[in-house]
Amino acid sequence: MSDLDTFYATMRRQGITRRSFLKFCSLTATALGLSPDYIGKIAYAMETKPRTPVLWLHGLECTCCSESFIRSAHPLAKDVVLSMISLDYDDTLMAAAGHQAEASLEATIKKYYGNYILAVEGNPPLNEDGMFCITGGRPFVEKLKHAAAGAKAIIAWGSCASWGCVQAAKPNPTQATPIHKVILDKPVIKVPGCPPIAEVMTGVITYMLTFDRLPELDRQGRPKMFYSQRIHDKCYRRPHFDAGQYVESWDDENARKGYCLYKVGCKGPTTYNACSTVRWNDGVSFPIGSGHGCLGCSEDGFWDKGSFYDRVTDIHQFGIEANADTLGATAAGVAGVGIAVHAALSAIKRAQQTESNQE
Amino acid sequence: MSSGEIQAARLQQIFSEIQQQRMQDIPILNPALQVESLGFREWNGQSVGILITPWFMNLIILPAAPVPELRTGDSVSFAFPSANYEFLKNTEVELTYYSCSLFSPMFEFETQEQARAVAVSVLELLFQAPQVAAPAGATPTTLSRRDLLRGKLRQE
Repeated sequence: MSDLDTFYATMRRQGITRRSFLKFCSLTATALGLSPDYIGKIAYAMETKPRTPVLWLHGLECTCCSESFIRSAHPLAKDVVLSMISLDYDDTLMAAAGHQAEASLEATIKKYYGNYILAVEGNPPLNEDGMFCITGGRPFVEKLKHAAAGAKAIIAWGSCASWGCVQAAKPNPTQATPIHKVILDKPVIKVPGCPPIAEVMTGVITYMLTFDRLPELDRQGRPKMFYSQRIHDKCYRRPHFDAGQYVESWDDENARKGYCLYKVGCKGPTTYNACSTVRWNDGVSFPIGSGHGCLGCSEDGFWDKGSFYDRVTDIHQFGIEANADTLGATAAGVAGVGIAVHAALSAIKRAQQTESNQE
Repeated sequence: MSSGEIQAARLQQIFSEIQQQRMQDIPILNPALQVESLGFREWNGQSVGILITPWFMNLIILPAAPVPELRTGDSVSFAFPSANYEFLKNTEVELTYYSCSLFSPMFEFETQEQARAVAVSVLELLFQAPQVAAPAGATPTTLSRRDLLRGKLRQE
């Protein structure tokens, strides 16, 4: 394939019709919360810009991010996104193996130095000089640093790469370390979740390819378009929380009535993710919709925050980001008129419907 | 009192009872706050205002005639001058209301006064139309047909 191929040319070669292509552009704009004006821009970018090569590395992980990504409910994701992003190296999805695969990695780094996106699934263990994760005959951390050096942008897929996840849970024997603590000289876009929602993954990557810039990130490095609301803010069981109607034990009368799952451990009030609006499996449902509380899988250190079934009682877990974001300073509280207006503005912006959660 | 004010007072009473009865063992109440409904006003034939409680602050719509086929938790979209907002339906002691979350839990507020100040600002912003920025590079398209035929476009 020539270097000058555009996304559009690649798609057409895959047998995707112009109509399907435009539909993809429109769905992408919607998923990203962009107004319909952007459909044309996305289409134009895809018709004119060369494909961006993506290196997809796997460290200590379970491949659930890849599983989520390739099962994106998006009708064209399989064909479009995978061909579009030109996965030049992904040791799970690529055809090559062994020395051939490693050669392909080197070739891609050399050929596209400074121009490729590095997507990292999983994280490097640093204990014993990184011996707990060896890929291609050397510690993963070396491969990661090597690949990061020439990357234009870095995406941390999932909670492993973003926070550490289960392999970093106490006592973390391998010293599994999130990638932003290893790669210090470049911004890392965190797309946490175990796994992240497929539409969020394709949305983030499509945004970067289309606009050739990073999406707007919050203080913790997560794309604001998908991680600015808590599960609790848009949960369909929220009216029951407000009205003090809680499931007291599994399968009780209140559970059958679909009451709030806070008392049986739901971490929705402390978890920033898009599950309650985007949902899973083509918008069919999400954990709370199936009668189980949110585990808080997209939050830092969720394995170490007690049982999944303990109710959240540590008030300091609550509203930390809300404080930081809406009030500017945690200690200040809502004092003074200016701060009250600022807090009101942030709250009302959060409450407004974006294109993505409009039916 | 108008019917909206009566409903708002009823809402406050209902949630005071909820706090005393159902929220007793819940550790996420802010003790500095109390239940208060405020700022209710007529809008499109229904009453719109804010409910502050120690565990949430929501925008509330009290409909004059609720849509009967909606169930608790179903969402309804309302277009305010500022934007569209998604509300969730609930019914408590035969009072139907639509609520849209602003804050929950409420630990960032130190006093009821602060919460009130934010609520008042929210209601102001809710009814303000967003300032539309003119698209960059847009040229005024006021060229009349006559000007066009006189070659004005070419001169520019």
